[in-house]
Amino acid sequence: MPAVLTVDPRSGVPIYLQIIEQIKRSIALGVLQSGEQLPTVKQLAIDLTVNPNTVARAYRELEREDVIETAPGRGSFVRSNGVTESPKVAAEIAGDALDLALREAKSVGLERGDVRRLFEDALARWFGQQ
Amino acid sequence: MSTITITNLRKIYGPIAAVDDFTLEIPGASVFGLLGPNGAGKTTTFKCLLGLARPTSGAILYDGQPLVPGTLERIAYVPERSVLYDWMTVAEHIEMNRRAYTRFSPARALELLTTFRIDPRRRVRVLSKGMKTAVMIAIAFARNADILILDEPTSGLDPVNQRHVLSLMINEAAKGNSVIFSSHQIGQVERAAEQIAVMDSGRLVLQGLVDDLKGDRKIVEGVFPDVQFALDGISNDPHVARVDRTERIVRLLVTADADAIAARLSAAGAMGVRTVDLNLEDIFLYAVSPATATTDIVIKETSS
Repeated sequence: MPAVLTVDPRSGVPIYLQIIEQIKRSIALGVLQSGEQLPTVKQLAIDLTVNPNTVARAYRELEREDVIETAPGRGSFVRSNGVTESPKVAAEIAGDALDLALREAKSVGLERGDVRRLFEDALARWFGQQ
Repeated sequence: MSTITITNLRKIYGPIAAVDDFTLEIPGASVFGLLGPNGAGKTTTFKCLLGLARPTSGAILYDGQPLVPGTLERIAYVPERSVLYDWMTVAEHIEMNRRAYTRFSPARALELLTTFRIDPRRRVRVLSKGMKTAVMIAIAFARNADILILDEPTSGLDPVNQRHVLSLMINEAAKGNSVIFSSHQIGQVERAAEQIAVMDSGRLVLQGLVDDLKGDRKIVEGVFPDVQFALDGISNDPHVARVDRTERIVRLLVTADADAIAARLSAAGAMGVRTVDLNLEDIFLYAVSPATATTDIVIKETSS
């Protein structure tokens, strides 16, 4: 398991959601590979100094979303489709960020055309001119 | 796994109700945080849990059973103030606990003292406040108790030792034991506790999973183009706990459905509607701060 998994308990984002987000990100980036074993709930709880039930909640949610699977007595693993799914996970992460930005834009009163221009500018900056 | 059920607990000292109609279920195999301002009744609640104070009324049950002397063998308690004897050495305290409690592990106590860098040959008299706390922690965690009740367990400790204590608590929860602790250091509660209860003036004012409280409770804020706007009945919404208004800005504390309430503000013509996450400190302060004048403002429908 990568040492990059960290939580910020002072954040307003629930800790279990932070764990879910970071495990998904690790899979999307290939830091966690298909079939790779995750630390046990107890181990991750101790490593992060957070409540074991909080980690267990994150794992349950990741199982429900078919991101990981748990074999009783053996531990939790990244699902074999986890790697082929990684573009999907990446799109999900980017989609959430975009959603937030668009919500902000709308709330400050920008129109569709303004947002489109901003998006095209940002696209050119990060991906180059077409 | 020890569930503690507190029902309608009341403890009256003279004219003061230190704990007033307090009902709470504390789950086993977890870390539970009890928060509250000074004098809220946390220590009195702990004393009632331990049989050190007799409730005026109400009931406390451990796995459905009332407290009996045998239960106390399963509970370790670290009080807020030192109960160590100044004239004894740390090692003598360990020996005293070995004789008093059958499940006490002197080896474990010594191991923990090493972690806290305390020489057991020292007399308590020469120890600092933080070192005394560490000694009491080491003894409590060597008790092999099923339930640990810790009143301000990190007071006076340096950040490294504070983290040691949190790790010990997490470890106990992972073993299936129950840890109940109070702390004014909300960041620690936020990190280690799964559930919290907030007391104020002896009463329970808020309880829940820390993650759920953070997920549900938000500030929704909107700026209206004019001081006159129609936002009828928003303070009656069951999910709006508090309304603050400063001229064109409306700030709502919501307990659920932040998106729907944000949409309501937008529909009423608010611009710059945003939803702000709250950390546990914010949530705590809102729970214990008395209603201010702005809280009671009812925004009436206005026809401009």
